[in-house]
Amino acid sequence: MTTTRIGRLTAALLLIAVLAVAVVALSACGSGSGTAASSSPSAASAAGPITVTDDSGAQVTLDKPATHIVSLAPANTEIAYAIGAGSKMVAGTSYDDYPAEAKALPKIGDFANPNVEKIASYSPDLVLAAGGIQDSLRTKLESLGMTVYVVDPTTYDGAIATIENVGKLAGVESGATAVADKMTAAQQEVQAKVGDLPKATTFLEIYGKPLMTAGTGTFINDMIGIAGGDNIGAQAGKGFPNFSTEVLVKDDPQVYIADSGSMSKPGDIKTRAGFADLTAVKDGHVYVIEDSIIARPGPRLAEGLVALAGMIHPEAAAAQ
Amino acid sequence: MSKLARTGKWPGILLASGILAVCLVLALALGPASLSVGRIWHLLLAGPVKGDLDNAIFWQIRMPRVLTAALVGAALAVAGVILQDLFLNPLTDPYVTGVSSGAALGATIGIVLHMTNLPWMTVLAIVGGLGTLLIVWMAARRRGRIDIFVLLLAGVTISYLASALVTVLMIKANQDMTAIIYWLMGSFSGRGWPDVRIALVTIPFMVLPLFFTREMDIMLQGEKRAMELGVEVERNKRMLLVTAGVLTALAVSVSGIIGFVGLVVPHIVRLLVGPGHRGLLPVSLLSGASLMVIADLLSRTVISPNEIPVGVVTTFVGAPLFVYLLRRGRRT
Repeated sequence: MTTTRIGRLTAALLLIAVLAVAVVALSACGSGSGTAASSSPSAASAAGPITVTDDSGAQVTLDKPATHIVSLAPANTEIAYAIGAGSKMVAGTSYDDYPAEAKALPKIGDFANPNVEKIASYSPDLVLAAGGIQDSLRTKLESLGMTVYVVDPTTYDGAIATIENVGKLAGVESGATAVADKMTAAQQEVQAKVGDLPKATTFLEIYGKPLMTAGTGTFINDMIGIAGGDNIGAQAGKGFPNFSTEVLVKDDPQVYIADSGSMSKPGDIKTRAGFADLTAVKDGHVYVIEDSIIARPGPRLAEGLVALAGMIHPEAAAAQ
Repeated sequence: MSKLARTGKWPGILLASGILAVCLVLALALGPASLSVGRIWHLLLAGPVKGDLDNAIFWQIRMPRVLTAALVGAALAVAGVILQDLFLNPLTDPYVTGVSSGAALGATIGIVLHMTNLPWMTVLAIVGGLGTLLIVWMAARRRGRIDIFVLLLAGVTISYLASALVTVLMIKANQDMTAIIYWLMGSFSGRGWPDVRIALVTIPFMVLPLFFTREMDIMLQGEKRAMELGVEVERNKRMLLVTAGVLTALAVSVSGIIGFVGLVVPHIVRLLVGPGHRGLLPVSLLSGASLMVIADLLSRTVISPNEIPVGVVTTFVGAPLFVYLLRRGRRT
């Protein structure tokens, strides 16, 4: 019987370890860092070293623009291609699916399990990492002599700033500025259409069972505000907290948007326990939004913002 | 019905019923969306009505959630009693036969294939759970007999295998990792009437062992002794194993994996009413339901609008209670 007990103990410890790691990873994923990305004024000249501050608040310095970039997140890959640094990309993650040419890149593992040896084997002069789950990775990569920039914005403007920073590090500032201008233009257009309208109470579902939402300190929360929504999930705290179904029904959102990552369909949402009488359901304002345009802090957040506005204030957003 | 006429168990059953009734009332009256007692009384009398949000909160969200929790808690406690006494091993819980890991594997496949809605998740979880029990069973069957120790070892081994497969799926489909982890942690969040209907299926399987309490009492003395006393040991083992397996699979399929209740409720009840199954089974059933209902009430109210995973609460509530009773000593 001892073997059995030892076996069960091991199983329990393993489970605890796995869950602990997962919990830490998830909570870290949610919390992010409060610092918005900002570029150092000294980074302007192309000749000298380039210094910017990344989203974790760390100074990132390169002597000359990067030529071999490894991305550790689909969003980072999208940024690199959008600003014209696609040709400098030497490796990405197995979930990189946009733009199409990113799929052909060599893979260093996925977002949650990047392989350090693989990353090192490409001798990158710039690694674009993500926040949260990849926090511990930074020290490891830097001790191997790599330069790491953490992309982890907490607002829409922060995402724009980080794209401009990556542009500086990769020596493609004009491309980055063009992307940033497009994102700013989308923001201004949305603001012009919905900025003066009364805020519509909005619930954004990240996952349905159990119910999870986007709380404060996330760029999704920021974008709901810009798109004319009042995010019900903000009361649940920072990051991506779970949320009481009772409170959701009590607060009765006017608009219900599910992230496509939740795998929920509008038809299913309407039939959920207690949802039939929600204002959003009765008025037909239940939507599913494509995960990659609101959950990846990259250039396509502009599309996400326009899509959110179209769901939160359909009439105003459709007007020319 | 001379069995039922025996004295000594009724005070325990009545007390446990009373406690469960109080727990159910509290769980229905309290919630993150505060409704006054008067309002709840009104809602209760009105029945389910469309077009009223308070009514939807009470009848469509709170009520089915509380009932699901009660049924899952009861099912796990009964399965725990059966398996601990069948294996004559105090560390046994409903998850040791591999049923829950199998159910978890089934549910994980459902999540990865994006078949997360009822009835698919439930069907896959039940198929996974009972499929695992079948494999374990075949491994433990020798010349028409079930070897209990082989069964236990095979169960633990298959559990490992199923957990390893869940991990592989998690890594392969890591966009679904959050969903899988949350499912493995167990929760009653968002459970509605369809879940209650599935959980109701546990009732006949919880009632069935109540008719075999004499055989279960005798089998506590070991298989040999039970056979000498004329108990059809193999037939009873088969019946009890399938019953515990079905109860566990159904419970896990609606709630995910919630630990502690199935392990500790039988022990607590044994300390209070003794090892005789006439008292132990019904009191465990009622106490399992009470513990789960209270744990779920705390899980949804303490840090509202957030929720604490219910398995964490069952442990926080149950562990101190268990240690207290262990210290107070056995009363048989």
